[in-house]
Amino acid sequence: MEVYFMEHREREVPMTLLDTQKEKWYQVKEIREKENVQRRLEALGILVGTRVQVLNQKRSGSTIIRVRGTRWALGRTIASGIEVEDCEHE
Amino acid sequence: MNSETVIRVAFVGNPNCGKTTLFNALTGANLKVANWPGVTVERKEGTVFYKGVKMILVDLPGIYSLTSYSIEEKVSRRCVMEDDVDVIVNVVDASSMERNLYLTLQLLELGKPVILAMNMMDVVKERGMEIDNHRLPEMLGHIPVVPVSARKRTGLNVLLHAVQHHYEEDIPERVLTYPSYLENKISMLEERLKERYPALSYLRWTAIKLLEEDDETMKEYPLDAPEILDRSYEKEIINEKYRYIEEVVEEVLFYRNSSREGRTDAVDQVLTHPVWGVPVFLGIMALVFFLTFTIGDALKGVFEYGLDFLLEGAAAFLQKIHTAPWVISLVVDGVIAGVGGILTFLPNIFILFLALGILEDSGYMARVAYVMDGIMGRVGLSGKAFLPMVLGFGCTVPAVMATRTLEKEEDRKRTIFLTPFMSCSARLPIYVLISSMFFPKYPAAAAFSLYALGLVVAILLALAAGKIKHGESAGTLLMELPEYKLPNARTIAIYVWEKVKDYLGKAGTTIFLASIVIWFVLNYGPGGMVTDVQSSFGALLGHVLVPVLMPAGLGLWQIGVALIAGLSAKEVVVSSMAVLFGISNINSAAGMSQMSGILAEYGFGPVNAYALMVFCLLYTPCMATVATIRKESNSWGFTMKMVVFQLLLAYVAAVIVFQTGSLLFH
Repeated sequence: MEVYFMEHREREVPMTLLDTQKEKWYQVKEIREKENVQRRLEALGILVGTRVQVLNQKRSGSTIIRVRGTRWALGRTIASGIEVEDCEHE
Repeated sequence: MNSETVIRVAFVGNPNCGKTTLFNALTGANLKVANWPGVTVERKEGTVFYKGVKMILVDLPGIYSLTSYSIEEKVSRRCVMEDDVDVIVNVVDASSMERNLYLTLQLLELGKPVILAMNMMDVVKERGMEIDNHRLPEMLGHIPVVPVSARKRTGLNVLLHAVQHHYEEDIPERVLTYPSYLENKISMLEERLKERYPALSYLRWTAIKLLEEDDETMKEYPLDAPEILDRSYEKEIINEKYRYIEEVVEEVLFYRNSSREGRTDAVDQVLTHPVWGVPVFLGIMALVFFLTFTIGDALKGVFEYGLDFLLEGAAAFLQKIHTAPWVISLVVDGVIAGVGGILTFLPNIFILFLALGILEDSGYMARVAYVMDGIMGRVGLSGKAFLPMVLGFGCTVPAVMATRTLEKEEDRKRTIFLTPFMSCSARLPIYVLISSMFFPKYPAAAAFSLYALGLVVAILLALAAGKIKHGESAGTLLMELPEYKLPNARTIAIYVWEKVKDYLGKAGTTIFLASIVIWFVLNYGPGGMVTDVQSSFGALLGHVLVPVLMPAGLGLWQIGVALIAGLSAKEVVVSSMAVLFGISNINSAAGMSQMSGILAEYGFGPVNAYALMVFCLLYTPCMATVATIRKESNSWGFTMKMVVFQLLLAYVAAVIVFQTGSLLFH
C-alpha cells in the first residue's frame, strides 16, 4: 500500500476517461488495455490522438463517449484504460 | 449475359447501418431486424431477379472490421473471401461515414468488385449535411456509389443495376497508398507469397494481414520472412486508414447544421441519466406489461366470443352430420378447446412483441445495456448480457440465441443459465388464467409478482454463481449507441409478424398434437376407450405424481399431467387443464368459475394456485428452449444440468411457497 502511494506521488497520476468532465472534449494520449480490447478499440477508430467527447458517466464508471461521429458505451474497466489529456478547442 | 448467369452478392456493413432493412427491402424475406449489434449472426440468403438475371443475396452479420476477433467477423470474412461471392455490396450509414468507411477500405484491399450502398441519405439530408457524390467514388477507386434509403425503399433498382453490370469488372484500383516503408514491405511480401502460394488471389490483402500479425492469415499462409515481418505493423496500418478516411470526409462531407444529433443527446440526458436511468427503464418495462395485460385483455374478449361460437357451432354441426361421438369429443373437447384456448392469448402476445419491437427499433435497447452495466458488473457480467434477458420476456429461444453477441464462452453460459427465469410470453397465459381465477381482485398484480419473482431468482442465482466462480467481464462493455429514430412501421411489422407466426405455428403443431395426445390419454385406458376419466392412462400416470407433488400443494393428478404436458410448450399447461377438467372455454367467466369450483372441491385454494404459478415460472423450460440451449452451448452436460437444476429449484420453491403460505393463511 505504502509503496503504491509513493510511486504515484513521484510521477503524475495519468488522467483516464474516469477522471473527465461531462460534455468536454479530450484527446487520447495512451491506451492501456488487454491486447484484444486494444485492437478492438483501434479498429473502431479510437487511437492515440483521436478526439473524444464525454457525453455521460455513471458512478459505477460506465461512460458514454462520442468519437468520430458515433456514440459508444464503455464499461468501467475499458474507460479506465484510456488515458486522455485536455483538448484545446471544442 | 445469358439467362443462366447467377450472381452471388454479399451484403456487408457495420451494425446499425440499416443493412438488414435494405436486405429485407430487396428480397422481401422475413428477417429479424434489430437495433443493437450482432443480431443477424446467421447467414441469410434471398433471391432476386433483375432484368432476367438471378442474383443470390447473402446477408452477413454486421461488423466493424475484417479482423478475426469475433465469430461474426470470422463468418463475414470467410464468406466474402470465398470464390463464389462475385460482388460485395458494402452498406454504409452515410450519416456516420467516418466510422463506416474503415470497413470499406479493408474490403477494397481484397480486390473484389465492391459497390457502396450509401444508406440513410434521408438522415443525412434531415441533419443538414451534404455528401459530394461525385468526389466520393473518385477517392474510393471509382467504385459505384449508389445512394439508397432502405426505409423509404428508394435507390433499390439502381443498386441491383450496379450489381448487374459491375460484377464482371475485376480488381478496383489501389485506393490507399501506405508510407513507403510499408509499401516496400507489402510488395516484397507479395512477391514471396506469389512464389510460395501460386494459387493465392488476395496478394495485397494477405501481405497487409501478415504485417498486422493477423492470427488466421498467419496460420493459413505462414511465411518465413523475419527480416520483413519483424513486428506487428497493425497500429500503423490502422492509423493510415483512419488518416485517409479523415481526408475523404473532409473532402466530401459538408455540414450546415446538426439538429438531429442534438435531439438524441437531449433524449439521452433522461434515458441514460446516472440516477434516473434505472427507474426509467423499470418504468418502461412496467408500462409494457401494463399494456400487455390491459389492452391485451380487452381484445381477448373478442377472441373468446369467437371461440364460444366456434365450439357450439362445431358440436352442433358434427352432431347434425351424425359423426361418431368419439370424433366429436376429439374435435370439440380435445382440439378446439386446447388450441382455441391458446389462441385467445394472441392479443397479449401481440402487444408484448409490438412493445419489444418498438424498444429495439427506436434505439433504446442499446441504452439498456449502458443503464444496467453497473448492476451487471456486480455479478461479473457486462451490461450487454442484460439484453438477452429482456428478450427473454418475449421468448426464451431467441433470447438464448441472442447471447451470441457476448464474446466470452463463459459469459454466454452464465447468461443462458439466467434467461429462462425471465417469464416468457408462453407463461403469460398461465399467470393470466390462474390469477384471474384465484386472485380476482388484483389479477395484474398477482401476475406481475411472478415476473418480479423471476427477476429476483435470476439476480440471486447470478450473485451465487459469481461467488462460486468470479466473473471477469465486469466493466468490459463496448457497444455503439445508435441515434434514436422513429420506429419504422415495416421493420416492426416484420418483427411482430415473425413472432405471431411462431406462436400460431406452435398452436397449429405442438399444441395441436399435445391436445390430441392429452385427449387420448384421458379417454383411453388399458382396456380401451373409457367413460370414467379415473381409469384412463392419464389418471394412472397422474396418480403416480400425486404423492410427490403433494408437499407443494399440487397433489391433484390432473395438475401432474398438465405439468408434464407443459414440457412441450408452457401454454399447454393451460390448454391441458381445460381438457383435463372438461371445460370447453377456459377463458370465459363461466369456464373460470366452473374450473375454480371444481378445484375448490379438492381443497385447491389461492395458496395452491400461487405455488402452481411459481412452479410453472421456474421449472424446466419447453422442449424448443432445451433444444436451443443444447445447440448454443454445444454441450449436453450443461443442458441437462440446467434442466435438472430448474426442476429441483421449482419443486423446492413451490414447496416453500405452499408450506409458508398455508401457515400464514390458515
